[in-house]
Amino acid sequence: MKIRIFVGTGGVGKTSVAAASGLKTAIEGSRCLVLTIDPATRLKTALGIGTAGGAQKVPIEPFAAKGELWAAQLDVKQRLDHMVRRHARAGKLQLILEHPIYQAVARLVGIQELMAIERIGEALAEGYDEVIVDTAPSRHALEFLDKPEYFVQLVGSPIVRLVGRTYHWWEKSSLARLGRFGFELYSQIESLVGVKLARDVLEFFSAFQGVAEAYARESAATLKRLHDSRTTSFTIVTSPFKASRDAGFFWEELQKRKFFVEGLVVNRIWPELAVSARPGATREAEALVTWYRHVSAAHRQAWEHVAAEYSPKIRRLLPLRELPADIDGLPALHQMVQAMGQA
Amino acid sequence: MSAPKTASLTVFCGKGGVGKTSLSLALGLRHALQKRPTVVVTSHPLRELAASVSLAGLKERYPEAADNLFVIHIDPREALNDTVRTTVPSSILVKTILASSVYQSLVEVAPGLKEIAFLSRLHRLADEPSEAGKTFDRVVWDAPATGHFLQTLLVSRNFEQYLSGPFALLGAQLASFSSDATRFAVLPITTLEEMAVEETIELWRQLRGDLAIEPKAVLCNMVSPLARSTQPVEELQAQLEAERDDGAVQFILDRNAIERSLFGKLRAAVPGALRLIERKAAWTTDLDLLLDIAKQMEDFPDDWTQ
Repeated sequence: MKIRIFVGTGGVGKTSVAAASGLKTAIEGSRCLVLTIDPATRLKTALGIGTAGGAQKVPIEPFAAKGELWAAQLDVKQRLDHMVRRHARAGKLQLILEHPIYQAVARLVGIQELMAIERIGEALAEGYDEVIVDTAPSRHALEFLDKPEYFVQLVGSPIVRLVGRTYHWWEKSSLARLGRFGFELYSQIESLVGVKLARDVLEFFSAFQGVAEAYARESAATLKRLHDSRTTSFTIVTSPFKASRDAGFFWEELQKRKFFVEGLVVNRIWPELAVSARPGATREAEALVTWYRHVSAAHRQAWEHVAAEYSPKIRRLLPLRELPADIDGLPALHQMVQAMGQA
Repeated sequence: MSAPKTASLTVFCGKGGVGKTSLSLALGLRHALQKRPTVVVTSHPLRELAASVSLAGLKERYPEAADNLFVIHIDPREALNDTVRTTVPSSILVKTILASSVYQSLVEVAPGLKEIAFLSRLHRLADEPSEAGKTFDRVVWDAPATGHFLQTLLVSRNFEQYLSGPFALLGAQLASFSSDATRFAVLPITTLEEMAVEETIELWRQLRGDLAIEPKAVLCNMVSPLARSTQPVEELQAQLEAERDDGAVQFILDRNAIERSLFGKLRAAVPGALRLIERKAAWTTDLDLLLDIAKQMEDFPDDWTQ
């Protein structure tokens, strides 16, 4: 089983490139799942599937595919509920699901990345040959790599385990058994953020503990596989004008986390435009021609620049040309697959 | 007694990849070139790197502007820690609180705590322009991409239901600042690409609806010189000549048609002001590109940024 994770900043066509890579793999014979984490994505439009939840089979028969393509979009709230139902300790389920802090947890920045790890773990058990992950743009994509580990550390720490118990001691014994320093610390935090919030958070944490620990156990195993270069590779997707900076940033960040960077895709490169204005053309037309020629030359220059810099470091460098229209369905996506083959 | 000097705040928001950071730096540059001390607060993931690369050479070419332009990155978690530092009197206690797991887990799950600390820091830059010994006339916020941007604003607005104490006070101050339309300008940015235009229309709707913020204008970034042309495509086609039979003319016509139709769509959906920022066709350094954009911003009306 292979996992390929696509990272990149916004607006570079990351979702399309990930989906086209999935389509290519499926045409060649794999049973492939494309999982998108980006809440702003239009994967459904790109793949021409409906809006129902869960993984959906994409109709790729017209392309003489030998394998299968499945697509799924991460539904954070649904995954979180699912996780809580599976792991909540007896008697705590309703308390968690109805707790005001829980509602906030579901909306939290970064929680989608935690749930993505959980979903990847599930996909690993579902027997796909390949799982392709389309991450949320930039900063969040890296949180997606940081957060689960942070979470594992957090619930793995004995001091945090105390949080839940501390609260109950505090409730039951009116602070009698809590050390003086612990009490002072807690009351400082309480006076900072207010009694209600501090209590809510502690109460929620004490109930959520079991879920978090179970999550940590599961995600630790998944994270281990993400760090294994035999199973998992990363592909950086960028566009010509962002290529140099994006490639540098993601290369560094992924190296730092010891992930295997297999590919760099520079998407949406304009073709060489050998066009001129006819004699007697309007100034508008002349300006247009000059502008397009310049921009397309700059695109190709940017590609040559990153290709020279990264060919010693990254095995697969892929320039993809700008397609005539938006990727708004399977035929357009298939065009991209063909462009991948030609590059 | 005269009113205390306060800076205005300009907020650039929009989809990832539409050029929020470039336009923020360019506006900062425009102010700095006109001798107005300006701070650009960037939420860009590449942080200082983006700015230092883009502004390389400024000090040599425009030393005075370089002296007036500041770029900072405020990490929301750091902003929150700062709030704790200024609120809790004992430095030993501050250290213990920040290091405690109770605090760290609270920061992670407490809704909006980091966001409100970030926004109040931003607010302070505008309201007390003497922070760190610098006096700023203008504050420019290079906001995070749409989803996170809206979340930051929303979560910090619904804060009073949870809070008492210093953070509730911050929340109240922020609410009064953000309801004063003369103090800040929100400028959504889009490119003329379908996904970006759709997201911008939705962002416009949410800003006005859920947040009661009236954006001053929508900026269309990186457009070609002909984005708003009315010259019929056939007429244009007749004037272009291909040197090879490789579809290059069609490529130009297609892209031009997409730009025009999306510009029309945007104009129909967003009744306010629309401004075009043309993409310079060729440039040598990032600074040249920013200077070109800054020039295009020279005629921005004052009430956007004042």
